[in-house]
Amino acid sequence: MQTFKIALTIIVALFIQVLLPGYLSFFRYVDLALIVTVYVALQRAPFLGMVTGCVAGLGSDALVGGIIGVGGFARTLIGYIVAMVSIKLSVENPLTRLAVVGLASVVNTVLFVGLHQMLRQEHVLEQVLPHVGSWREFGATVGWRVLGDTLAAAVVFILLDRVFAEQRAARRMAIKRRFYE
Amino acid sequence: MSINARQPGSEQSILRTWIVTLFSPVVDAGGGTLNFITNGVKSYTDLRGAREENIELRDKVQELTDEVNLMRERAAELERLRTQLALPAQASYPRLSANVIARDASLWFRRITIDRGALDGVKLSMPVAAAGGIVGRVVSVGPNWAMVQVITDKQAGVGAMLQTSRAMGEVRGLDNARCEMKNISSSENVQEGEAIVTTGLDRIYPKGLLVGVVERVEDDPNAPWHRLIIKPGAPVDRVEHVLVLLVEQKDLKPADTVK
Repeated sequence: MQTFKIALTIIVALFIQVLLPGYLSFFRYVDLALIVTVYVALQRAPFLGMVTGCVAGLGSDALVGGIIGVGGFARTLIGYIVAMVSIKLSVENPLTRLAVVGLASVVNTVLFVGLHQMLRQEHVLEQVLPHVGSWREFGATVGWRVLGDTLAAAVVFILLDRVFAEQRAARRMAIKRRFYE
Repeated sequence: MSINARQPGSEQSILRTWIVTLFSPVVDAGGGTLNFITNGVKSYTDLRGAREENIELRDKVQELTDEVNLMRERAAELERLRTQLALPAQASYPRLSANVIARDASLWFRRITIDRGALDGVKLSMPVAAAGGIVGRVVSVGPNWAMVQVITDKQAGVGAMLQTSRAMGEVRGLDNARCEMKNISSSENVQEGEAIVTTGLDRIYPKGLLVGVVERVEDDPNAPWHRLIIKPGAPVDRVEHVLVLLVEQKDLKPADTVK
């Protein structure tokens, strides 16, 4: 059941990701595939986080353009790292979860641009840096992405908490046992 | 990265073709619903001031009708002169109308997705235009969809020339709803508002299509070139309906390009 819910969540996220930027231009700074990946990874399940990141990333790559596999790889890595962090540290606090999204957004952008650079698709970096060498522009883009992803995650996480209510309750119980018993 | 498999005989990703083919009907339906709602609200707000706008538009129609008659007269004259000089006739190509179903889904690429694909005769690298000028070229095709790279994409390039002086250069996207044209000699007298048209030399866009108009001329005292900022003729960032020119590279004969 959980797998089905995650699959459906990824499909809905990709659907919204493709549809909304045409109507709300700021939505271009939001990466729903990343937000879903981080949410699933925060369930303290590295394998699930990685698979979600891989599927959501590949779907996103296919739908929005670019080299297929770059976004998939970046989100797979993020899914694994976030899941491992959530196992080692307590990231149940809503503000902490948003901070994790912000950090994941930075890593995602850097990995995406870096991998395109590595694969000789320099234009992507040029696109971020209208004047070559202007790291300020790149920093601004990263900042806007962090803001967009974090704001969107604040809403999306509330919705997903309702969708995955059972898993959330079970996870909280497990954390309680681990830290307080 | 091995998932980046390609269809035999084409440069297209199989994964992309499948995923977009599955998604495009749903996105089309969702976009239609959103359009219905936003157009309904817009229609209501547009009613205010419609009377004044109607009067203005009637005057404009009259003005444009006169202009069309004048242009027809000039076109006929041009055709007569072409015949007298034994110049080859300008080619015209079949066009296919399409609706935009998605746009700019990513921060990194300026792309639009249209609801026509290989089943309608759309192929890779076909030019796409709209009222006002060219929009871009097809970079990915599925059975019922095609992805178009718009001319404001940083990766996009168009062989273009100034309409009056015929000075040639390359138009590249600037990623901010504008394009730039470099390498126009500073000795050329370029006026703001001057039209930029395609040369046909890129073997993608037929010759003579409007790219846009010069919005600003930037001169670097240390460089012997103009840098022209171009406002695209077509509203590429909000276009809803486009025309795919069903022309392939092999159809672009030398007569359609500048020699």
